[in-house]
Amino acid sequence: MSGTLGRVLRGTFLYGWTALVFAFVFAPILSTVVFSFNADRFPSLPWGGFSLQWYEAVLADPTVRRSLVNSLIVAGGSAVIATFIGFTAAYVDYRFRFFGKSAYMALASLPPTVPPVILGVAMLTFEGRIGLSGTLFGIIAGHVVICAPFAMALIRMRLNDLDRDLEPAAWNLGSGPWKTLREVILPFTAPSILAALFITASVSFDEYMIAWFVSGLQETLPVRVLAMLQGQVSPRINAVGSLVFAVSVVLVVLAQILAGRSLGARKQK
Amino acid sequence: MSVTMIELDGVAKHYDAHVAVADVTLGIHKGEFIALMGPSGCGKTTTLRMIAGLDQPSAGEIRMWGRRLNDDPAWERDTPLVWQSYALFPFLSVQKNVEFGLKQRGMPAGPRAAKAREWMERMGIGAFADRSPSQLSGGQRQRVALARALATEPEILLLDEPLSALDPHLKVKMQAELVRLHRELGITFVCVTHSHSEAFAMADRVVIMNEGRVQQVGAPRDIYRRAGNRFVAEFIGGNNIIPGNIIGHGADGLAFSSPLGALSVASSQPEFAPGGEALLVISADNITIAAREAGLSNEVAAEVTTLDFAGSSVTVFLEAAGGTELRAQMPLRDLETLSLAPGARVFARWAAADGYFLRP
Amino acid sequence: MSTSPPATTRPRSRAERLRFAAVLGLPSPLWQAAFFVVPLGFLVAMTFWSVKSFRLQPDFTMANWIAIMKAGFFHNAFIYTLWLSLLAAALASVIAFPAAYTMAFRLKPHMRRLLVFMLVVPFFTSLPVRIYSMQVFFSPQGIINYVIAPLGLGPVQVLNTTTGTLIGFLTLTLPLVVLLQTFALSSIDMRLVEAAHNLRCGRLRTVFTVIIPSARVGLVLAAALAFVLCFGDYISPQFLGGSKPPTLSILIADQVKSGNHWPRASVVAVSMIVTLTVVLGVLLRIAYGGRKA
Repeated sequence: MSGTLGRVLRGTFLYGWTALVFAFVFAPILSTVVFSFNADRFPSLPWGGFSLQWYEAVLADPTVRRSLVNSLIVAGGSAVIATFIGFTAAYVDYRFRFFGKSAYMALASLPPTVPPVILGVAMLTFEGRIGLSGTLFGIIAGHVVICAPFAMALIRMRLNDLDRDLEPAAWNLGSGPWKTLREVILPFTAPSILAALFITASVSFDEYMIAWFVSGLQETLPVRVLAMLQGQVSPRINAVGSLVFAVSVVLVVLAQILAGRSLGARKQK
Repeated sequence: MSVTMIELDGVAKHYDAHVAVADVTLGIHKGEFIALMGPSGCGKTTTLRMIAGLDQPSAGEIRMWGRRLNDDPAWERDTPLVWQSYALFPFLSVQKNVEFGLKQRGMPAGPRAAKAREWMERMGIGAFADRSPSQLSGGQRQRVALARALATEPEILLLDEPLSALDPHLKVKMQAELVRLHRELGITFVCVTHSHSEAFAMADRVVIMNEGRVQQVGAPRDIYRRAGNRFVAEFIGGNNIIPGNIIGHGADGLAFSSPLGALSVASSQPEFAPGGEALLVISADNITIAAREAGLSNEVAAEVTTLDFAGSSVTVFLEAAGGTELRAQMPLRDLETLSLAPGARVFARWAAADGYFLRP
Repeated sequence: MSTSPPATTRPRSRAERLRFAAVLGLPSPLWQAAFFVVPLGFLVAMTFWSVKSFRLQPDFTMANWIAIMKAGFFHNAFIYTLWLSLLAAALASVIAFPAAYTMAFRLKPHMRRLLVFMLVVPFFTSLPVRIYSMQVFFSPQGIINYVIAPLGLGPVQVLNTTTGTLIGFLTLTLPLVVLLQTFALSSIDMRLVEAAHNLRCGRLRTVFTVIIPSARVGLVLAAALAFVLCFGDYISPQFLGGSKPPTLSILIADQVKSGNHWPRASVVAVSMIVTLTVVLGVLLRIAYGGRKA
């Protein structure tokens, strides 16, 4: 079938379908935010009027506040450690060839493909033995495992654009390997390092499975949300959810802008 | 007179099974402009990188002022390199790029900036001090790369294909500028190039390499007039190479039997005597073309096949008896007086003293 | 004339290089060994431990394996989880394809970039909250029923059904599958498509004979990743499916959280890893198999 009618139908189908897919993906996020301002107890139509009461209720809740603080500590700690580890792995991959490199890279990139529920049990049984379970570091340890590969991927992509002669050029001008790392590699990868910090922070901030198994009494925010979900439907969840979304959206958008800028810089060349 | 600054003694570089440099022995004199030249993969760049310490020799020794250099890391040598890709730091300004080497040597910020300014002015890029390298043209980047390498005031400058990324007209300009810079600074320049016109135009001495080995070392003119072996004769271009046998002594020297007939060669090469195969080499610019036969020795009837114009000089391709191809190079003016065109029947000739022998 | 620079002997140059490589090379494997490999190894070891009067005891018994492998609830959960995840991966691939096709071939580059930018965001935002939102949408008094009631439809019962779990799986995987398919389709050599048109291959036929085979690796990888995510997901079957019937991850959580039987949870976890490895192996074979022909 061709001709004008066929083209119009084809276009309508493709664009309409795409719009529906996006609607399906974004509706839960948007409705959470919208209903967090709804005065009605039950989140449904018709609209019951604008209100900030659920935010007030949530922010006054000491368990939410404590879990938020825990989450911020865990996300910050995980982001810093995971980005450091991801950076070293990305640089090692960029710079060195050695026996067993594929095993090295598999170990550095595969952990996120293991279902978090399995990692959760494994961490719980293991950390219980060495006295780490129930501590914030126990959560961070698990989060770094799944966050570091994201950091490595981002930084490795940036290193792909680094002129292979640049490091030798620095050596040639009298700069040793450590100094070259500081004065050439770090400035060059800086945008991707920041992007990695943001992405890993957001992954850790939203991680609920490992945290749920390991945290014990040290609840993080997603674990608190999980507990709320198991109770009654409550508009408070919309308010917490909106806050959680806000944090991760900001982090992911910033990360993408930073990573995108470094990709854009390559295109200019 | 010439003092040896750097010695390469049986230097080799292997990567697993691949041999990049097989065996290079070479002395580089203080203050000379030496060019390492050869086809791609001949090991010239690897040799340069080993001098800079960017590659470690697998065998042999590199000495500077008589001291073994092999184990010095790259960052403790004073052998700055101008990179083919320029390798300017994209996140630093032009000025910071030029200051980089000085900073590594611990020079304080004030004098460092002053020294960098001095070199940027000298290289004509003073106006771009605060720009990013990405905002500069290829020629300007090259100047930044030169300023950056020279700012530490080294005794030696290494250049890796310094002209290959430039436009043709810039190439000629930069070539002259490198020669002037070399003369003014009086330091040693080691330049890698695959172009014999660049090497012959700039260098005091040229090292021709092939398959990881030195084929010939000498002044451009000497190499051009007396290629050391068949590879060099073919690589530098513009030579007629005619196979044949030395059959005896003639009036002008040795008698040489070739597809072109009997030729005579006034050779001063005692290693070539009657009774062996040899290659006769005659440079294209030593062959003259005449419309009429003059009855001289070394005169060959031929037909013009192609004319190749390169500015004011012309290469005339000829086909002689037995299909042997000959080439003659002459000024455009001479061509015009002869009014040559493809298909013309002419006589090519050369003096017996202009030919020399090579081993086949 | 210059004199020689101060003589320095330098066997340390090699040692220095080695130290540099070690300091940079070790953090990643050390951390992943300590908190990934060792815990997973521990998990395997735990499957052979025993529980005596609510206390874990190091042991070497096959009792946990036998108990789980014989249990009907495990068989049911295993088969249910496996086919539902495969179904979700296939469904997500089919639903995502027209959208990815539109993004890759129909949209202008800046629009495509914007949509890609947008799709990355939900992948990194809280799944529990998004699933909660879906719960609200599909609840008996929720928006969906509110909207379709005037049309004389509904009310639809989605919560606590397999459909509910599937909706959750799609919420989880669609952004990622659309993204990966878009990348796969964008990297197709457009000259192949033009050549097909030039040879009078119609649009729809070109999709099946040229586009899908050319992008096979990317498309299968996207489906494989969707499968992995669904297979291990706990949130969708729990909160949208109402854990009726339970999936393997729900079994694990129940065994740990309420049953307090870690060794049996470990058996389930290890059998999940084995299953994932097998299914991924098959999918990768489909993705890369026959490539060299």
